[in-house]
Amino acid sequence: MEGRFPDRILPYVLLLPSIAVIVVFLIVPSAQALWLSFFEVSPFTGRGTFVGLNNFRELMTSDIYRHSLSVTLVFAVGVVALGLVLSLAIALLASLPFRGFGVYRTALLWPYALSPAVGGTIWALLFDPSTGPVTVLLRAVTGHAPNWMMDGEYALGVTVIAAAWKMLGFNIVFFLAGLQAVPQELKEAARVDGAGAARVFGRITFPILSPVTFFLFVMNSLYAFFEVFGLIDVMTQGGPGGATEILVYRLYQDAFISARWGIASAQSILLFVMVGALTLLQFRFAGRRVFYG
Amino acid sequence: MRMGSRRAIGFLTVVLAVAALVMAPARGDAQQPVKVTLWHAMGGARYEAITKDIAAGFNKANPNYVIEPLYTGSYAETVTKAIAAIRAGNPPHIVQVFEVGTQTMLDSGAIIAVQDLIKGDEINFNDYIEPILNYYKVGARLASMPFNSSTAIVYYNRDVFQKAGLDPSKPPATYKDVEEMGRKIVASGAARAAITFGWPSWMLEQAHAMHNKPYADHDSGRNGRATRVLFNEPFGVEVLSRWKRWADAKLLAYGGREYAPNKAFLSGEVAMLMQSTSQVTTIEKAAKFPVGTGFLPRIEGQSAGKSVIGGASFWVLKGPGRSPQELDAIVKFFKFVAQPEETARWHMDTGYFPATKAAVDLLRKQEWFVKHPNHETAFRQIQEGPDTPNTRGVLLGNFVQIRNITDTAIEKAVSGKLSPKDALDEAAREANKLLDEYNRIHK
Repeated sequence: MEGRFPDRILPYVLLLPSIAVIVVFLIVPSAQALWLSFFEVSPFTGRGTFVGLNNFRELMTSDIYRHSLSVTLVFAVGVVALGLVLSLAIALLASLPFRGFGVYRTALLWPYALSPAVGGTIWALLFDPSTGPVTVLLRAVTGHAPNWMMDGEYALGVTVIAAAWKMLGFNIVFFLAGLQAVPQELKEAARVDGAGAARVFGRITFPILSPVTFFLFVMNSLYAFFEVFGLIDVMTQGGPGGATEILVYRLYQDAFISARWGIASAQSILLFVMVGALTLLQFRFAGRRVFYG
Repeated sequence: MRMGSRRAIGFLTVVLAVAALVMAPARGDAQQPVKVTLWHAMGGARYEAITKDIAAGFNKANPNYVIEPLYTGSYAETVTKAIAAIRAGNPPHIVQVFEVGTQTMLDSGAIIAVQDLIKGDEINFNDYIEPILNYYKVGARLASMPFNSSTAIVYYNRDVFQKAGLDPSKPPATYKDVEEMGRKIVASGAARAAITFGWPSWMLEQAHAMHNKPYADHDSGRNGRATRVLFNEPFGVEVLSRWKRWADAKLLAYGGREYAPNKAFLSGEVAMLMQSTSQVTTIEKAAKFPVGTGFLPRIEGQSAGKSVIGGASFWVLKGPGRSPQELDAIVKFFKFVAQPEETARWHMDTGYFPATKAAVDLLRKQEWFVKHPNHETAFRQIQEGPDTPNTRGVLLGNFVQIRNITDTAIEKAVSGKLSPKDALDEAAREANKLLDEYNRIHK
């Protein structure tokens, strides 16, 4: 080991700003949330009555919360599957050498640069039940257009598409980078041996991409659980009939619209535990299959 | 997650806080005008009206006082922000709160009732239109300052009515009319659907008030705090069943919550729209067809009530150390808002009620209603029917969340996921849980 610090204190001093920020903005609020989750809190005074595990019990027995949980799972699976498959396909195409591919690659990144509010508005306008171009098109082709303000499954489908689309750029960039790491000579050798395109992809490209895929799998899962609030708020507000009410949206409603801090904190703790467990499982099972070369 | 950006934001916050501390002493002059902050939720055309006409107008007329209006998002967000500010000990002087927040504000312990603030005859509240004033009176005490009151009416597309062979000067009077006229409209191809509405749970509340039915116990929460909602009683189920019937017959094109359904009406796809009167000006401007308006349809064979007041009012928040000058500024501001000219202009700009008789007289003198009959519809509507606790409007704790729950129930019923009765029963169970919780916390 080279480049040691001259004394023991300096490294801690240098670390101090980061630690302070993490403590103030992450540790303290998390601890507060944990504390609050055992209380029923008055929104105005902040004073609470200790209710033990009641908030958690109420959530576990609430049909609405369980429904919200199942919606979240369907939503997350949809977003991750659609997002990864689509972005891998697009990245494979975009990695082919052709004229002007730089322009395409830049264009593919754009959705990620848009704010969720803008993205949500675009999709809401496209699928508007009376004036949206998609609605008009569907009606012209099939003679019948679903109303996503009323049809829950359709609404969930549209939000999944919008959420996956929003993440496309991010995924494509990583896949493109990963594809560049695939040695050409390996592929050539395989082709010489008579392997078709599908086989080259299945046996060479995809295994070499597996660390990137795994990374994106985790990132997209986190995204689907935590970061789609804006999109849902702009597009459906959890409707119709709770069909798109994912856990974070429900949490937002309880915390920031109804000021029910206790039960909202309990939800954030549950969400934290769930995502922590999910990530752990992903590392346990999917992580093992990853080939790091 | 994205730790990098979080850390950056944290760092920036620290830098800004330090900068603010360093720069603070540079300000602070003895002869500054008294500042009064006003948090409001008026977006769109209403934003211009409240900032330019009202706040700027007041500041010009009162050089010693400055009203600082601040747009704080939707109604629900504004209430939440005000609650957070009250907790932090630094609330705005005045906050605009929608009718749904009334119970919460009353129980906050953070308000100064307008009645206690305004002494003697500084503002003649007898001049206010009674149904409007009654909404904001709780237990005979005026709690907040009436400002933007609305109700719901029916808007209809006269061209479509004409094309369907209906009398374009005759909106539907009953639910049966909606159905019969609707069938003609859809069959003739004049529009794709007959009716849509915004604010679904408010429409359910309106239907209760229109027929003098209680929405919650304790006289809809007007005589003591509500502990049980009653919207799943036979009357509520009847209303929702009728909506469901419209949906099954393809007459109702459900268009989402709040103002989202306006688009379907404005595009000519749907012939009728039940919506807040706050949209009169906006809809008249945006529509490419002549717009007619009428009273909310009644359910035939049910008792008579009247439409209920919605919209918002100004609440005065205590805050630590409010100086007499600040309180005086608030009173002056309310007096300014109550002037007939200001009240009339606010009405013309938006469609909200002209809340005082003097403002109505002024508008009549200018023949405003003759030229703009659609602006008079709601006004005539709230003056018909009995004044009872049920028609004064329901008060509930946790009302914002309960509205959400009812919206969900209505969506489940019209889309056929649950029967109207089951949907409302489920919603009532959830709502009652919230009322229990509210009453536990606010003893």
